[in-house]
Amino acid sequence: MEQPIAAGRAAPVRFRGLASSRPLNALLLLIVVVVALLLLTRVWGRGPGYFAQILVYGFANGSIYALIAIGYTMVYGIIELINFAHGDVFTLGGFVALALLPMFGVTESQRDTPGVILPLLATLVISMLFCGVVNVLIERIAYRPLRHAPRLAPLITAVGMSFVLEGIMFLWRGPFFLHFPDLLPSARISIGPETSVGVKELTVFAIAIVLTVVLSLFIERTKLGKAMRATAQDRDAAQLMGIDINTTIALTFFIGAALAGAGGMIFGLYFNSLSFDLGFSAGLFAFTAAVFGGIGNIYGAAIGGLVIGMVQSFSDGYFDSTWTQVVIFAVLILVLVFRPTGILGMRVPEK
Amino acid sequence: MQRSWLLTVLAAGSVVAGACASGGTGGGASAAPSGGAATGGASKGEIIIASDLPVSGADASDGIPTQNGVQFAVESTGTLKGFKLTWKGFDDTVNGAHDPQKGAQNVQQMLNDNKILGMVGPFNSNVAAAEIPVGNRGSLAMVSPSNTNDCLTKPDFGGKPCTDPNPKNLRPAGGNNYFRIAAADSFQGPAMADYAYDTLKLTKVAVWSDNEIFGKGVADTFQAEFIKKGGQVVVRQDFDTKVTNDWKPFLTDAKSKGAMGVYAGATSGTKACIPRAQMAGIIDGPYMTPDGGVNSQCIKDAGSNAASMYGTVAGANAEQNPDAKATVDAFKAKFTKKDDLGSYTFMAYDCAKIIIDAIGRAIDANGGNMPSRQQVVTALGQTKNLKLTTGTYTFDANGDPTTPTMSIFQTKSGDWAFIKQFGVGGS
Repeated sequence: MEQPIAAGRAAPVRFRGLASSRPLNALLLLIVVVVALLLLTRVWGRGPGYFAQILVYGFANGSIYALIAIGYTMVYGIIELINFAHGDVFTLGGFVALALLPMFGVTESQRDTPGVILPLLATLVISMLFCGVVNVLIERIAYRPLRHAPRLAPLITAVGMSFVLEGIMFLWRGPFFLHFPDLLPSARISIGPETSVGVKELTVFAIAIVLTVVLSLFIERTKLGKAMRATAQDRDAAQLMGIDINTTIALTFFIGAALAGAGGMIFGLYFNSLSFDLGFSAGLFAFTAAVFGGIGNIYGAAIGGLVIGMVQSFSDGYFDSTWTQVVIFAVLILVLVFRPTGILGMRVPEK
Repeated sequence: MQRSWLLTVLAAGSVVAGACASGGTGGGASAAPSGGAATGGASKGEIIIASDLPVSGADASDGIPTQNGVQFAVESTGTLKGFKLTWKGFDDTVNGAHDPQKGAQNVQQMLNDNKILGMVGPFNSNVAAAEIPVGNRGSLAMVSPSNTNDCLTKPDFGGKPCTDPNPKNLRPAGGNNYFRIAAADSFQGPAMADYAYDTLKLTKVAVWSDNEIFGKGVADTFQAEFIKKGGQVVVRQDFDTKVTNDWKPFLTDAKSKGAMGVYAGATSGTKACIPRAQMAGIIDGPYMTPDGGVNSQCIKDAGSNAASMYGTVAGANAEQNPDAKATVDAFKAKFTKKDDLGSYTFMAYDCAKIIIDAIGRAIDANGGNMPSRQQVVTALGQTKNLKLTTGTYTFDANGDPTTPTMSIFQTKSGDWAFIKQFGVGGS
């Protein structure tokens, strides 16, 4: 078996799809070329400043997807389960942050004052811890008892947990859209006549980068990280070598959810709106990102998240947002046809 | 994807059902007394006026103030020609949003109760399209305070014949049982377009819609009128608001093409004012919505960027009518919270009064006895020059008001403030 979680070390991927049906692939390639040309003419027509601006939004948008996608991919890597509740854990992070901020006495009027930095950081940490604990509980209640059951069973409990979380958030705050205070700095750095980078976007991007780097260092450099990799590679062998796999799996759920919780809070800060059913669409796109990057691979998920966010922003900015979902899934299909294991992915052991 | 959506809807729906049961939002159940003949001064029996509005969920910020108007009208009238008048509220919300099927079920339920002689509602046009045929088969008098879709009553919209919905298909039994007092969408989009061009002095705007019947309809009519006036619509996009969270690319596109303001063809339930919050730092200009955005939810969604928003309401503002002052004050004494009074509260009040007036004439026509539903519908169609809080109402053959009114509101210090109102001509 190959290692499903291997931060950065991708196994060589063969172009399996290409060999199978050349006419179909030629057709697909043709479509790609046509769409690319169309995009290029539009990009050319709108000038570089606009392009750069959309790129900036795409990065911020993608950073949030990346944070969610990493959790999906970690959980899949270690127990080969698609944790459908993950998108809702992400929403929960936003909800917890939204509830905590008033407790710290933070209101929107305090934007751009240094006083908000500390409460924001504290809220971020508490939201992450809270989501981590919730996800560990979900694993304990809904997945661990089913670890040796047929694969479909935990999949269904995952869908169930997703609804439970949505229901809890619905009862907690109601079905309304919730305004999330705009607390990130409003300053913008102009880098061209049509382009500016907000400190807002930089913050989102920076948090995503820092969390991803810390996570990969943790997995590559620490004992617990080694235990996670070992468990992912061969659970039984890892257990025989004295690794407590229950703790290791719980830890994986904890870290994945903490990142999603951070993502939820950043989403609120960046888009200024939350709703109880947000996790459904956001989770779906993040899952797409994880598959896109190669499910099981953390760097793959991060890159996949960025790409999906970027595709979304470019589709919104250059075509029509009505087509955005179509474009995202068309890109996914294309990638999977040519690289069935995703961009950085490896073949997943088939059982 | 489709299937998982269905699952979500089902599960969330059951959650909502549970929430409604425990939360007691179906206030109507308790409002209906169990006894038949009242013990008080009225002795002939009981007549119930129902309402069907979205009073829970994301539309509650519109639905509850509207329902308050109906409740106030019925309860302050009390008795009518010897009959005791009571109000019974129905909720057409499922999964947190207004639901056409639920509305149709509610109307069916009303038909099963012989004491219900008329209903105020529904609030949303797509709910009306599902309810009218059910009510039509049972000759139930329906008067809506806020339905604005042209095709509910008129054979064509924007120069094109109505296909779905179409007034004929909506009335399978033949006659007309459905009336409304709101001005139709064909007036609402253009009213804001005129205001944007003439008063706000905008020449270039960006337009987006939620891609629903109402939102797209007003966005299209806004766009057509704005261009006709000589303005430019520099960007037009229709969004799937269920998955769109990021309006920044759209707003940036609009900015780079010179947009001075944005028109949102959407309602608070479809994120009408969420882009307003994201507009800060991108476009410094007015933001305009149709009536679905003129509510407190919209102001919350816009956050710190709530100033300088403009909205149309498809009816007159009772607070501008000196003759209605006593009624408005009495309402405010009974419903004291700020959110109790909405842009359609007195439109709904008037709808209930129109039904009460029609029932009164139907009672007379029936020799002082309990009239049949058909008699009420007939009397309703003959409503003439009925002077109420938001205007003087006469219905045309389609069931539309002969002199609809449009008003314009602006956000001022965290609330919607009335600017002006004007008649939008006969229909």
